[in-house]
Amino acid sequence: MKKTTALIITIVCGAAMLLASAGAAAGHVPPLLAAGIMILAFPAGAMALFLWWCAGEGEGDIPFLGY
Amino acid sequence: MIGELIGAMVFGLLLLGIHRKVIARIQGRPGPPIWQEILHTLKFSFKVSWVPRTASRVLFIGIVLVAIAIWVAAYLVVREGGSLLILFGIYMLHKIVEHGFGLSSGSPYGKFGGVRSVISAASEIPLFVSVSGIVIVTGSLLISDIAGWQAVHGPLLLALPPAAFAMYLVLLSKMPWGPFSIVESKEIVSGYKTEHFGIWRAGLEVCNGLKTSVLLYSFIVVFIGPLPLLWVLLFMLGIQVSLSFACALTPMLSPFDSVTVQSLVAGALLLYFLALGVIL
Repeated sequence: MKKTTALIITIVCGAAMLLASAGAAAGHVPPLLAAGIMILAFPAGAMALFLWWCAGEGEGDIPFLGY
Repeated sequence: MIGELIGAMVFGLLLLGIHRKVIARIQGRPGPPIWQEILHTLKFSFKVSWVPRTASRVLFIGIVLVAIAIWVAAYLVVREGGSLLILFGIYMLHKIVEHGFGLSSGSPYGKFGGVRSVISAASEIPLFVSVSGIVIVTGSLLISDIAGWQAVHGPLLLALPPAAFAMYLVLLSKMPWGPFSIVESKEIVSGYKTEHFGIWRAGLEVCNGLKTSVLLYSFIVVFIGPLPLLWVLLFMLGIQVSLSFACALTPMLSPFDSVTVQSLVAGALLLYFLALGVIL
């Protein structure tokens, strides 16, 4: 996975969680849907964030998968 | 909601740091600083990571996401006053996730840890016994209903101390370095998480932070009742320190003894609740 891809996933997941939280608080998003988004987006966002900030700037995939 | 999740994760990691500190001080060691687990998470998240050749790549990575996801779900169940059965189902699911962690790596230490996770599922038996007691007394399995019952009758802890004891035993069984921590016993290195390093371990630490917060928070909501945030945090700290004392003063049991002790406690409590059900 490229560094930019990890960043995009982080941003998308973060935005989804913010929208779900705000939407649920305002009553525009059903609570179950908001919960489902949080359950899917929080782990994906956290791991993509870790992938993004431990990735190098050079060419090649991160993380290095396999030997 | 996202702020709450991050706060719960960080506070859970802080509690785990306090757990290590208290154990160390009781054992006459200086111990790490209390924010060590938070630093651990950050440290691992910056390390170069890869998937071992012997691992099942999809499971190795996917299980980290599942581990975090189930505790996010558990937090939301408690927050929204959902069913205890869903919450306790997630507690059980965590054992399967630990099993998946161990098996995914291909390491013999991980596999032993995974197998012990299945054995240690016996620690959940007292959980189901405590559920029966809660239903008998409050007439509901919804956390919101149980909180409502406590608003009228007072803390469930006073009305049903054996159920609280059973739940406390479950908390103890899920604490690291405790008498029932057979999945992380040193003879199998780090057990199921031996091969998960770098960002995978950071993800596991995120899961552990959330897990600690959810376990303590749910105990407070179910047995003490809804409280202001400051009191919740103080109670969580108090319960955590008491668990640390229990962990520091009790040797780790062998897998067989661990299961035997938990089964005996569950059996005794089951008899109590059966009698209670007949009387009520």
